[in-house]
Amino acid sequence: MRVLIAVFFALAASAIQAQDMLGDLRDQGLGFAQVTPGRSLQFPRDHGAHPDYRVEWWYLTANLEDSEGGQWGMQWTLFRQALSPRQAQAGWQSNQVWMAHAAITTPDGHFFEQRFARGGIDQAGVSRVAQDGHFNAWMDDWEWRSNSAALFPAKLKFSVGEREIVLLLEGTGELVANGIDGYSQKSAQGQASYYYSQPHIRVRGFVSQGLEKTYLSGKGWLDREWSSQELAENQQGWDWFALHLDDGHKLMVYQLRHADGEHWLSGNWIDPQGSARLLDRDSIVLSSTRSGNIETGDERSRKLPMEWKLALVEQDRSWRIRPLYDQQWMATRIPYWEGVVLIEDEQGAPSGVGYMELTGYQ
Amino acid sequence: MRTSGIFWVLKALLSHYWRHPWQTLFLAVGLIAGVALWSAVQIINQHAENSYRQAQSLLGAQAHYWIRNRRDQGIDPSTYIKLRRDGFRQLFPLVELEVSTAAGESVSIIATDLLALPDNLLGNDQSTRDFGATWLEFVQPPYRAWVPRVLARELGLARGDQLELRDGRRLPPAMVQARVQQGRRVLMDIGAAFALSGSERFSYLAVGRIEPHAFRRLAASLPDHLELIENQQHLDLRELTQSLHSHLSAMSLLSFAVGLFIVFNAVRFSLWYRRATLLDLRLMGCDSRVMLVAILFETLAWSLLGTALGFAVGVVLAQLLLPGLGASLQSLYDAIVETELGLSPWTLFQAWCLSLIGLIWALAWPLYRQLRRSSLEAARVEVLLADESGARRRMALAAVGLALLAAIAYPRIETATQGFVVLGLLLFAAAWSLPALLAAALRLLAWLLPAHSLLTRWMVSDGWSQLPAFRSAMMALLLALTANLGVGTLVDSFRSAFVGWLEVRQSADIYLRAPNVSYEQLLGLADNGSWLADSHYHIGVSTRWRERPTLVRGVDTRAPDSLVLPLSSWRGESAAAALAIWREQAGKVLVNEQVHFLAGVEVGDEVELKTERGLRHYEVVGVFYDYGNPYFQFYLPGRVVASHWSHYYSRGVALWLNKNNPRAMQQAEASLKALGAQPGDWISQTQVRRLSVAVFDRTFAITAAMNLLTMMVAAIALLASLLAILQERLPQFAQWRALGLRQSEQLLLVATPLLIFCTVVWLLAIPLGALLSWILIDKLNVISFGWSMPLLWEITPALQLALVVGLICVSTLLLVAFQWRRQMPLALAQLGETV
Repeated sequence: MRVLIAVFFALAASAIQAQDMLGDLRDQGLGFAQVTPGRSLQFPRDHGAHPDYRVEWWYLTANLEDSEGGQWGMQWTLFRQALSPRQAQAGWQSNQVWMAHAAITTPDGHFFEQRFARGGIDQAGVSRVAQDGHFNAWMDDWEWRSNSAALFPAKLKFSVGEREIVLLLEGTGELVANGIDGYSQKSAQGQASYYYSQPHIRVRGFVSQGLEKTYLSGKGWLDREWSSQELAENQQGWDWFALHLDDGHKLMVYQLRHADGEHWLSGNWIDPQGSARLLDRDSIVLSSTRSGNIETGDERSRKLPMEWKLALVEQDRSWRIRPLYDQQWMATRIPYWEGVVLIEDEQGAPSGVGYMELTGYQ
Repeated sequence: MRTSGIFWVLKALLSHYWRHPWQTLFLAVGLIAGVALWSAVQIINQHAENSYRQAQSLLGAQAHYWIRNRRDQGIDPSTYIKLRRDGFRQLFPLVELEVSTAAGESVSIIATDLLALPDNLLGNDQSTRDFGATWLEFVQPPYRAWVPRVLARELGLARGDQLELRDGRRLPPAMVQARVQQGRRVLMDIGAAFALSGSERFSYLAVGRIEPHAFRRLAASLPDHLELIENQQHLDLRELTQSLHSHLSAMSLLSFAVGLFIVFNAVRFSLWYRRATLLDLRLMGCDSRVMLVAILFETLAWSLLGTALGFAVGVVLAQLLLPGLGASLQSLYDAIVETELGLSPWTLFQAWCLSLIGLIWALAWPLYRQLRRSSLEAARVEVLLADESGARRRMALAAVGLALLAAIAYPRIETATQGFVVLGLLLFAAAWSLPALLAAALRLLAWLLPAHSLLTRWMVSDGWSQLPAFRSAMMALLLALTANLGVGTLVDSFRSAFVGWLEVRQSADIYLRAPNVSYEQLLGLADNGSWLADSHYHIGVSTRWRERPTLVRGVDTRAPDSLVLPLSSWRGESAAAALAIWREQAGKVLVNEQVHFLAGVEVGDEVELKTERGLRHYEVVGVFYDYGNPYFQFYLPGRVVASHWSHYYSRGVALWLNKNNPRAMQQAEASLKALGAQPGDWISQTQVRRLSVAVFDRTFAITAAMNLLTMMVAAIALLASLLAILQERLPQFAQWRALGLRQSEQLLLVATPLLIFCTVVWLLAIPLGALLSWILIDKLNVISFGWSMPLLWEITPALQLALVVGLICVSTLLLVAFQWRRQMPLALAQLGETV
């Protein structure tokens, strides 16, 4: 799903007018490797980078609590972008560019940082596992380093402004292939990506700022996705949810908003044992119940849907989803809303936490 | 009531200007020209000053420190990546290259990694605007070369063109645009620069804003061969370039003064015409205070008009002059001056103040004096003539006073500004003595002429009536001629000294600076061939001495160029003997003239240099010429430098080719290539001299331009005066015409005094110009730059100027004759009416 962010990154950064940007988004990614059904995911190979595809990311979110029960959130994402379809070269001639986003939602507010680096020079990257046998993803001194070729267990170290964050990540379940064996379709016209997740991550760590140190623990969610071409002609943006339910279920749902209101909905319902069930358009009911004015830092505010009602038809369950607080805006180069959400069941009882991402709102 | 009174008085006063449009035009031209020349220079100075202030950032990113290789061998990218991965995100890499185009132009290249800039392009609004949609093309092959508009014009580059270099390589496709602090350099991605240079090493790293604790950690993290240097360029540049800017300011003030003389001239004319108006106003009972206010209004109006138009012309002029000056500042001081001009309201305000002060002096004061005269007295011509004679006397006396003041001040000059004040005193002394000298010349001629040549005597004596009209114009001409001759002589002397010095200093055939070629390797290879006759391997250490950037250079004392190093002063009997002492005795040093003149170090003094082994003292045995270098420099034997500073770096190798081997150059180039040197790493003697002389000429191009413009202003002053004479005396000329005088005779009548005056001015300008150049060379150049040179005086420039003055006279006379022809019929018709 989040493939769109990376595409936006490249194109919006080029400051191309909106019209052209959409045009580029909708091109067929000619010359890049194409996403086709039937390619099976292989690990640890697919943890590494796929430079032949246009965009790719390693996207971690975590819902954490401090010792006093305060709600925290973390986001750490590494994006890779191929600027041209030619063969990737090493060194300073490389056509690869990296972007990283980090954000922290604290009881005192939401903070974020973004970084960029060119590829090929080892300033940023995801190591070929074969190099030293460890999975390693980094940009400057931000680093995800695993103990093995697998993604977990790993140590993630990054900073947001003056806050230093160190997290120990431990996978407690199997990886989940989204879509059909990792082939995740994004529109009826055939747009798709390769997409897998690790929704079962135990997270422990701390945030330090000067002499102050706060210990945190909680649950994490990793998304891995790569593609070359995404948005359909009439798609405007998307709303995405990764939810940890208290009963042990995990739920990923997204909707690609279509201009005509016929949105593309998809998702994955993962039971505590790790078996996943693909959710399609007919099995998801998603609607916004409250809009909020978000201060977006560009001398204006934007109206975004802040509270949602989500129901799964087959499971016969529904939830109310609301943000920990509204102001979790990422005023990055490509701005979007991403932050901690709280889940309540039909009776209004707290029943989980998660992350929500909203893009494409003007 | 009072307000309307002022209005009517003002209207009456100003009516003069539309009745005499030519004079109005001249007043305006004088004022505008003066303000324009002054503000052009001020705009440039201010702009340069702003650029220096920005020297703490580079390409829009802060650069508080540099990380350099102590041996000037560049920085390996892996070291940089390691530092970045240690969290030093304040760092960004830079590559600087100097390339020669196929046409022989030298082009500076700066390259960086846009994505690594601290305020990087994707996060920063300004950068985004700068780079727009082009950054994707910028960072990947075939890359883009950003060429500032001015440079693109000079190199004849349009968007998409690929500049061809001397060795056939090409730069990436050009984009005609520039980033802040790019100056006259071509900006490209570091990947492009690596591909171009064939070497993957950074020139240096820049460090953006950094917290003290991070700085300490960075200093501790650096490998031994790298050093962290504070970026003091904004301070250094201001100090180093101060003299250059005061020279320019002085010239601009002179231009303003010349412009003001035209204003004087026009005002004198207007007084003549407006005395009747003033008299009428007074007789009608107009309050003198109301008239004073009206005069002030008039002055204010002129100052606003003059400033607005003058400043606008100044901006255009500055735009024309800036590229050359920017190039010079970059090659002499490494100062990056933005190629796009920035304007400050402060400069505009200063221009207005200056023009207002000038106008109060040249316009309001004379008007006020006229006003204060008793009403009837003011109307009498005799009074005006007597005034002239009195004014001449007063000015001559003032001139003597100024000259005396200058003579007293001269030995006490310590700064460039003081020097220019003395120069100003002298020039004004000369200008103010001029009317008396012109009168004396008339008297002398009258005495010399035979009594029977009546017409000639008449022509000469008519000079008396023309003298008041010509007074200001002649002063302007004198100033312009003197400045032209003085500065011309300075530039010629400097050029001759510089070229002679280059011949001795740059006697080697090839200069090589390739970090990847070792001297030993080179000599080893040269042994096998027969192309090398001699060589000189320089090493150096950059340091600071007395708060200024300083180079301690380790030279081979027995190299051909060291044996004949041109000295300006030395210990012992001869320069050769002093060089021998320096060569053979320990603890001796040669210093450049900057150390001698600017830091006051004399031959025989001891200088203290900070080495890695503590402070060391060296006795100065000689002072060498070091033209074009703004820094302090010490010459020590190479082995001394190598033993006292372990982190010395190579300053390159000079190679003398075997004269008996006709293929020596080809063999040398082949050997250098074989050793891995890139074609841009070496430069031949012809090229290096051509480049040096080009830098010199470019530096003085602005001087030549200012001289020319000042001359033009003086020419306008002459024309204005002639036209004024024509206006004033037309009725008289008509009478003469009626009495039978031919037009050619009348023209001769006007031309003769003009030629006499111009000759006197020209004759006076010759010694004055020489005096000016002598002061410039003897005092100001030495104080400002620490460069001494012999004065080279020649008559040719004076003769050329005589020709120019002659041409100006002839063309203005022709213009006047034309006007005369047009107006004479009416004047004849009006004969007999009241004048």
